[in-house]
Amino acid sequence: MPQKEYNLTTNEKLVLLALVKTRGLNPDNLAAESGLSVEAAMQAALMLDEKEFLEVFDDNQDYYKFTKEGEDYAINGLPERRIIELLERNPTLNIDELKKMLSSPYYIDYGLPWLIKKRWARIEKGRVIPIILKPEKGSDEKVIDDLKIYKKMNKELWTNNEVREVIYTLEKRDIIEKFTEKRRIIYITNRGRELVNKGITIEEEITQFTPAIIKSGAWKNKKIRPYNIHTPVKPVYGAKLHPYQRLINEMRSIFLEMGFTEIKGDIVQSSFWNFDALFQPQDHPAREMQDTFHLDTECDLPEEYIASVKKMHEKGGGISRGWGGNWSEDIARKQVLRTHTTAVTIKYLTDHPDPPVKAFCIDRAYRREAIDPTHTPEFEQLEGVVMDKGVSFKNLLGCLTEFYHRMGFDEVRFRPGYFPYTEPSVEPEVYIESRGKWVELGGAGVFRKEVTLPLGIKHPVLAWGLGVSRVAMLRLGLKDLRELYQSDIDWLRKSTVV
Amino acid sequence: MPVITLYYDDLEDLSGIDKNTLIKRIPMMGCDIERIGDDHIDIEFFPNRPDLYSTEGVARALRGFLGIETGIREYKTAPSGIEITKDREIEKIRPYFACAVIRNMQFNSRSIESLMALQESLHWAVGRNRRKVSIGVHDLARIKPPFRYIAQYPGFKFTPLDFQEPMTMREILEKHPKGIKFASILEKFDKYPLILDSEDNVLSFPPIINGELTRVTEETTDLLIEVTGLSPSVSTALNIVVSALAERGGRIETVTIDGGMETPRLEPDIMELKNNEVEKLIGLKFSNEEIITCLEKMRYGARSSENKIEVAVPAYRSDILHNCDLIEDIGIGYGFDKIKPELPATSTTGSSHPISKLRDALREIMVGLGYFEVMPFTLTSDRVQFEMMRREKAEGITHIKYPISEDHTIVRHTILPNLLEILSINTHRELPQRIFEAGEVVLNCKTEQRLGAVAIHPQANFTEIQAVMDAVLRERRMEYEVAESDDPAFIEGRRADIIIKGEKAGVFGEIHPEVISNFGLEHPVIGFELEL
Repeated sequence: MPQKEYNLTTNEKLVLLALVKTRGLNPDNLAAESGLSVEAAMQAALMLDEKEFLEVFDDNQDYYKFTKEGEDYAINGLPERRIIELLERNPTLNIDELKKMLSSPYYIDYGLPWLIKKRWARIEKGRVIPIILKPEKGSDEKVIDDLKIYKKMNKELWTNNEVREVIYTLEKRDIIEKFTEKRRIIYITNRGRELVNKGITIEEEITQFTPAIIKSGAWKNKKIRPYNIHTPVKPVYGAKLHPYQRLINEMRSIFLEMGFTEIKGDIVQSSFWNFDALFQPQDHPAREMQDTFHLDTECDLPEEYIASVKKMHEKGGGISRGWGGNWSEDIARKQVLRTHTTAVTIKYLTDHPDPPVKAFCIDRAYRREAIDPTHTPEFEQLEGVVMDKGVSFKNLLGCLTEFYHRMGFDEVRFRPGYFPYTEPSVEPEVYIESRGKWVELGGAGVFRKEVTLPLGIKHPVLAWGLGVSRVAMLRLGLKDLRELYQSDIDWLRKSTVV
Repeated sequence: MPVITLYYDDLEDLSGIDKNTLIKRIPMMGCDIERIGDDHIDIEFFPNRPDLYSTEGVARALRGFLGIETGIREYKTAPSGIEITKDREIEKIRPYFACAVIRNMQFNSRSIESLMALQESLHWAVGRNRRKVSIGVHDLARIKPPFRYIAQYPGFKFTPLDFQEPMTMREILEKHPKGIKFASILEKFDKYPLILDSEDNVLSFPPIINGELTRVTEETTDLLIEVTGLSPSVSTALNIVVSALAERGGRIETVTIDGGMETPRLEPDIMELKNNEVEKLIGLKFSNEEIITCLEKMRYGARSSENKIEVAVPAYRSDILHNCDLIEDIGIGYGFDKIKPELPATSTTGSSHPISKLRDALREIMVGLGYFEVMPFTLTSDRVQFEMMRREKAEGITHIKYPISEDHTIVRHTILPNLLEILSINTHRELPQRIFEAGEVVLNCKTEQRLGAVAIHPQANFTEIQAVMDAVLRERRMEYEVAESDDPAFIEGRRADIIIKGEKAGVFGEIHPEVISNFGLEHPVIGFELEL
């Protein structure tokens, strides 16, 4: 069998040469002996390990070392030892006096029980009465002395039961603690030794190409150092769009592909456009301060629609029963943060009453809700309308089904719903396999005549408002909506572009 | 919205429908299941259907929806001979009034619970927390007609429900839990509504509390129900209550008010519907017979007459304002799941809004420059927008009237503070961090577009952010100049205003160390904000 040519890099050769005279080196020593940096030496060593010329041996050893408290005792003695020493000097001291004399009053709390347990002293009427003076060092103190010298103790060193017992007690007293030391030793294998014995020559090799090497053609006579293509790479994260924005863009594209015009509007809206134009009665609970962000400001009403909207609310405008009572212009003038983007679509329809209109809007809506994992006071809404001669409820279901299918939700169903401004109203739901249940994703319906007629809209309007953040939670696997708005930069970095 | 508790055994007694059928079919009738328990289910019904706020009402609707018993339920009434008079003074305080007698009831704990729950739900949905409508239910055996509905001085004393001792009406408003809760309804009046019997025993102090005397117990067989309020909805509420009780076997009797009007009035409303109206709205062709079947499943009365369908709307349905409401119910009766979705034929071309195009372009530029996009809340506070930024309070800020937390009291008019907040929640993350937002702000009630960006890292400096700002404007082909800035959020001598066409359009530079500290940050921060 022809001998395989081993294409060793210069660094690998240096590492083998460093090892061949030793019985193993740790990474620091290997670096020193080979004249390489620790990283370079170890990279070469790991490559050589794969080729079985050496072995990188990882060994974890458990040791005992002093805790912070233990270090103090190692220098100043155990608390019980310090108390007995004080008593040797002055046997009349009471507990309070002892407390004052020790650097920490806790020494008494920790020391006294042991003083008694070791039968060095007893307590009578608040005084500590020594039983023996200058007691001999106990086995625990001997272990502490040893550890003071050696700094760490291999737990295997103690085989005899008594010492094991002592160690157990010291550990319980928080004087010593276990720790694990990682050791790495690199040994040359017989195979490696053979290779070195056959003779290794160090020749210059190219690590980084330079303009000079390329121009001169010097590379032709030199070795080019190969990279280990299996070395894991440190991740770099390119800047990117917010994953939520990417989802919004996907929804935008779907509606654009379906021939919808994108529209936008103001965040601050009059109650008129947010509620009244949508035939929401002025005493409707949703309009109260609990649910809506009311503002101090007011604005003018669109003159041409005041009378017709008023008539519809109060008397039903000749087609409906209406809500009865008085419709107040003052209430309609008050401004709010839009509670839904329907305020934007209804205004757009009013300004564009000629069919056909297919429009959508994905923007923020505001509701007076306390923040929790599934509620935020502002959130994105996807609003869509179709206005044309002869469109009907089944077409509404058609638009929604198409949208959800394109979003990747295969199973869609429609449950009856209720919104003051649509009739029929539906709540579309999609089936989420992973959750094993139907999830409601918004509301939709055909605008009531009570809404469209006073605004001069003469044809049926199909409308929907879908919760974008619900979809985001499903898509991005979020458990807390706040992640979208108060983003962890690492979450953004690690999010994927799919 | 009210959540109704339905006990399976009670519902099965009333409707013959078992738990599994209920859970499977009820969502398609129009409601949200909140919780499925072992012996009961909690369901949220919509605010347009207060007639479903009781087990009795749900049983009635379900029997129709599942085809067990269809068509309109007719409730017979007989005169009770009981009269009630209304004081003239009450017209200014709580003018609307309706009343009924129910006899022959057999209560148990479940049916009393259902009645109380119905009353509470109606107080919320129809009554707007008792202001518009409030309902009192009384044991008729304890009181003697005729009754009087009067306005009385606050010093008048009686024993309210759940109390042992008489209290004045003023004391009730101050001390009784219900009084404290609803006192605001009467705050403008110097006399309060009161209903008395012929021996001056108190039935109720509407809309606050009943008298202890007329408490309904399992022994009660005959009831007097009174509804007072500020709108004609009192009749709706009364009709819903009496028809629910009739479902449990109660006999409805009318009461004469002021020697004239008899209540309750349970005659159905008649509406006319054309076949093609249904087709227009739903999009499906139905025969008259099919329409009638669907209506009957939804508990309407319906019959064909010439080219129309005559629909009898039950008196407990207050939500039928227009034929579209009938048509929705026809759709529900037919089954939304049976309506085949169909895309509209409407052919149009789509287009992006210019603002979206602008924002897309800015995103492309900023991502290319190594900035991550963020999308913070636009609700913020004076503290973050001004104090932490060392900036003077500005004009034209959108203040929220009843904020829900200290952190959300205004709508932002600048983006930079929000970006700094995002850095502040990421102090444990690796540097450098570079983030931007192309988002909206509100100034003088108008929504404006802004681009903001910040970067934090040990070497961040004026030159770096100037280069970024310059790149953005160059990509957008916007000519600009810079001018000395006096923005206190930035370091003097390391800040500049961006001037476009002679007007200030933004600012950039090194963020002031005090601002950096205010946001809990420890490294140099640079940023810019641009009006678009």
